Amino acid sequence: MGVIRTQLSTIAHGRSGDKGDLVNIGLIAHRMEWFPFLEKCVTAEWVKEIFADMVTGEVEIHPVPGIGGLNCIMKGALQGGGTIALRKDAQGKMMGQVILQAEIELDEEEAKKQGVPIPS
Amino acid sequence: MRSEGATLIGGAGGFWGDQVFAPIDLLVGADLDYLTMDYLAEVTMSILAKQMARDPQKGWATDLLDWLRAGGISLLHEKKTRLVTNAGGANPHACAEAVLALACEIGWVDCRIAMVSGDDVLPLIDDVLGGGKAVEHLDSGESLFNVRSDIVSANAYLGAGAIAHALERGADIVITGRVADASLIVGSMLHSEGWATKSIDEGKPVFSLVEEWAPGDIENPLDVLAGWTLAGHLIECGAQVTGGNSSDWEVIPNLADVGYPIAEISRNGDSIITKLEGTGGSVSRRTVAEQMLYEIGDPTSYMTPDVVVDLSNTKLSKAGKDRIKVSGTKGRAAPQTLKVSSNYRDGWFAAGDLVIPGPDAKGRAEKTDLILRERLSDLEGIEIFTEFFGAGASLPMGLQHLATDPSEIIIRWAAKSNMRSEIIEFSRSIAPLVLTGPAGVAGYSARGRPREQLRFFPFLLQRELVEPRIQITMMQTLRLRLKEMDPRIDGVLTRIQKMADGEPEGLWRRRVARRVLRRLDRPLVKN
Repeated sequence: MGVIRTQLSTIAHGRSGDKGDLVNIGLIAHRMEWFPFLEKCVTAEWVKEIFADMVTGEVEIHPVPGIGGLNCIMKGALQGGGTIALRKDAQGKMMGQVILQAEIELDEEEAKKQGVPIPS
Repeated sequence: MRSEGATLIGGAGGFWGDQVFAPIDLLVGADLDYLTMDYLAEVTMSILAKQMARDPQKGWATDLLDWLRAGGISLLHEKKTRLVTNAGGANPHACAEAVLALACEIGWVDCRIAMVSGDDVLPLIDDVLGGGKAVEHLDSGESLFNVRSDIVSANAYLGAGAIAHALERGADIVITGRVADASLIVGSMLHSEGWATKSIDEGKPVFSLVEEWAPGDIENPLDVLAGWTLAGHLIECGAQVTGGNSSDWEVIPNLADVGYPIAEISRNGDSIITKLEGTGGSVSRRTVAEQMLYEIGDPTSYMTPDVVVDLSNTKLSKAGKDRIKVSGTKGRAAPQTLKVSSNYRDGWFAAGDLVIPGPDAKGRAEKTDLILRERLSDLEGIEIFTEFFGAGASLPMGLQHLATDPSEIIIRWAAKSNMRSEIIEFSRSIAPLVLTGPAGVAGYSARGRPREQLRFFPFLLQRELVEPRIQITMMQTLRLRLKEMDPRIDGVLTRIQKMADGEPEGLWRRRVARRVLRRLDRPLVKN
């Protein structure tokens, strides 16, 4: 038994938005039982690495256990802020859907046990 | 299906520019106690402040009139639904005048409008800075002093207290300036559940801590406020909680006719989020969860002027078709500071785009970009940002491997500079690329006009500096005021109305009577 690779969207859904120069991505596990996978995969380092060229500041991950979700806060994500950003997506609204395409690794045995669909 | 004893509040708009008919649909389809509308984004107050400086009748969200004119004002009157909105922007007074005029047009002459102001703290800034106090950017720590001369507007996010007192004073419509979005809903609840009555009976000022207004049977007022605030947060962005902007877009039914949200809010802080029956969209644990985390910071400390909300253990559960129960939200006392949203002038901006065909669309696009940059290389203060849409512009570095070779590309440039002239040069240089760049470059539209950029500068101010400035002003017709002073005026007015209608006959009499009646419907303001 090893690891399986799949997209983040297999285990979670989400939405992003802005506040000043911050973008937050709310990510919620499709099932409560999958919340531990989400917590394990989505770390500040992982997010920072994905958005290395777009996010200049710190990344914080806050758990929201009641709904099996995480709030991922990215500082310095909008070239100074939504009102002056040169990027077309000046409010970071795409970023939530973008990160859902990122590849994650799950423990195969655990994933099977919890019913995560395994890509063939 | 309405939950027993709950207050029904509609959220009819997510921003200035949202679908104009949404509030009409909500008013027609549901028996709401309050209809709330949020019009103000972070930058909106600055735009409105600039508008007001040019024209004293402007500076508020004029979209409000579009739906009020299209039958909205009559519906509010007939259904006795109270409207609570921050459409007043930088100029609640002009907004209220326009709305009262509409009310009089349909014969709603006893309409009472409350204006909530005091959010404008621009006049305070120099005092604070002059007093040697450091005012720092909430996120970056930069000093406000450095940008003081370029500040266009500064508005504190006011809380729910003033809205509640305004409703308590009999307002049918409450028009505010910068109020925290969720406070529109919390203010309505403070009124609906008797907290405002109690605070007035006890002589508490409008800006006192709202948790101290709680009736005796409420055990944990902060948790109740937190629950109400979350309900407000969930419906304040309109259809974003009812299926709009959802990851489930493929399966959500009939987004074309998406229903706007209704919160059935309980005395104990719990709520049910639902939508108008018979409309498109969907309310599920998934749509509500996405909106719950939308544009929040630390979920254990979602800051509002009324309460600090802890969402950690909030539960979402299904309570019927398109009905989600929200419970378990916790609250802590609000901080001693209020957040201020200010913006300062920060140079000029323009954007433009072209479409580039294949084969080798990427190669052509890169070449086109290079040519533009070479032509503008003598401009020293300009920063140009290029995106190739279709070729991975949405993908950050870590996901670039997902980009595919496109059959065509939209190339989009955005530029900023402190010199307006440089931005004009930039804008002028895009169209010529159609004739002077690689083959097949197309799609040029109007030359982008330079736009002055406003940069957001949030900071905190001590409550005691801001709150004494909060003001509730009532606006109503002179007719209503006279009636309040002496109800017998009704008899007199009936006689004048008869004269205006030509009884007894007489041209002169009729003209004078009509003139008097017109004056009666002019707005009168009292503090």
